[in-house]
Amino acid sequence: MTRASDLAALPELGLGLGLRNVHFEHILNHWPAVDWFEAISENFMDSGGRPRDVLRRVAKRYPVVLHGVSLSIGSTDPLDMEYLARLKALTAEVSPAWVSDHLCWTGVMGLNSHDLLPVPLNAETLDHIAARVHKVQDYLGRPLILENPSTYVSFHATTMDEPAFLRALAERTGCGLLLDVNNVYVSCVNAGTDPATYLRAFPMDRVVQMHLAGHTDLGTHIIDSHDQPVRPEVWQLYALACAMTGGVATLLEWDGNIPDFETCHAELLKSKAYRDGAFQDLVAERSTAISANVSNPVQFLVPGIDDVTHLADGA
Amino acid sequence: MTELSEVQRWMHSTLLAPGSESQARAADFLTPMAHLDAAQALSIYQRSYALRLAACMREQFPATCHALGAALFNDFVETYVAALPPESYTLHDLGRRFAGFLADQRPDKDAAEKETWIDFLIDLARFERQVYVAHDCDGVESSGLEMADLATPDSALAVQPSLTVAEYGFDVSSYFHGVRAASDPPIPSERPSFVAVLRANYQTTTVPLSHAHFTFLQALCAGENVAAALSAVSHALGQSDADVRRGWDAGSATRQRWIDAGFFVKQPPAA
Repeated sequence: MTRASDLAALPELGLGLGLRNVHFEHILNHWPAVDWFEAISENFMDSGGRPRDVLRRVAKRYPVVLHGVSLSIGSTDPLDMEYLARLKALTAEVSPAWVSDHLCWTGVMGLNSHDLLPVPLNAETLDHIAARVHKVQDYLGRPLILENPSTYVSFHATTMDEPAFLRALAERTGCGLLLDVNNVYVSCVNAGTDPATYLRAFPMDRVVQMHLAGHTDLGTHIIDSHDQPVRPEVWQLYALACAMTGGVATLLEWDGNIPDFETCHAELLKSKAYRDGAFQDLVAERSTAISANVSNPVQFLVPGIDDVTHLADGA
Repeated sequence: MTELSEVQRWMHSTLLAPGSESQARAADFLTPMAHLDAAQALSIYQRSYALRLAACMREQFPATCHALGAALFNDFVETYVAALPPESYTLHDLGRRFAGFLADQRPDKDAAEKETWIDFLIDLARFERQVYVAHDCDGVESSGLEMADLATPDSALAVQPSLTVAEYGFDVSSYFHGVRAASDPPIPSERPSFVAVLRANYQTTTVPLSHAHFTFLQALCAGENVAAALSAVSHALGQSDADVRRGWDAGSATRQRWIDAGFFVKQPPAA
């Protein structure tokens, strides 16, 4: 049984970056002054090669968190126990500060969309997901941290708003929450609701981590693309969230058109000013793009095969 | 069926088959968004599904994509994932059935004369999968196994876990490396090609092989010992065991090169 005190025991890790394969060499060569790293669980749990070795080495030097995209906690398919076994094995190996995933489903009928699909938010879904969160937490022996997803549709069957749903889920299961500030902005703008109102209703006492990322504004809707710097309107929300939480571990996600490590790190460090309360009067401006961006999680793609050599005289 | 289950089955079906009858029911399940009606909002997920899987397949099959051109490759992927939608939680599995799918769907499947261009594409996709698997499979690096050295007797030689060998009808390995070098290599002519792929020190390496060496390593990969693998070579080449044995003993340069490249581990003594 997971208790609220389990969450209170989780550390405030500071400012972290997503562990991406394009940055492996830089990290291993420079051991940069980053507070912590977040690893996409699926990029490492099945790896028998370099990605897993890099994660092991990183985990010896930095706190790490495992962030999943395939738990599918909202699916009506049975929980994938093979997946959970591999996740548990990885947690035993790298001792993450916590394990997170999303309030979503990724597939049904034995198929997988490889997307973070939204669920209707109502009592039936709450019962269903709460029961599964209990099972996952019992199996992993630790609280699960769930993230609010970016959403592009809403359901007739929805009867609760997302903050109320997550509050009820956290109260029933003892799970923690990962507040993705960019997702709040994306989902609210797409739905035509107010992001600040969303934040004010969010159960901040359950938040152990926040996410920041860039998005692409297509005018009629916003795509959670993770392929550019954090937008001013999201920084503004982040400042508000910091004031409401008192400051929790913050992670910058950058998954498409990933720049060099120093650029990502510099973007992350901008959050210091917002955590300290500056820039709260920043005026949010929407600027639009014309693009065919793919919503995240793009970076649970594949490790790049960047080191295949040819031994010419093998015969 | 619960309401949640019904919603999920419907929504997933619209990802698999955009434009189908199920999409016409979008307004039955979804409310309009701020600036998009239900069907338009749903199409964001449909578009992302297709683009994400195509991007992933281009990463896993860069040379096949180059050979076909991105537009045609994407069409193949669209057909592939429609016929064999992803089942695994990991995208590493996405390309596992691609070469088999191409072989199964080839338009000249029942013709007496097969088109060599299609044979090449299928072989290239098989080869890229072989390389992709070697890149991140369980290897020797953290296995606790000890690498063989020149002093390791034949009786203790075993192939290391990541090593696989395969036979192709074209020199797909050279084509693959040509694409990786950002050149536009010509499509190779049809001729048998044998390749070993392995990973050592987290470096993936492709090694062209002769038919005899392929046969030898194939037997070792199947769990045979060196003596049995040499017998397999003698059988394949129609030579005596003694002649093949002499050839192996005399061919120390090959043995050394393979040991240097990390082909072998020391087999633990039988308990």
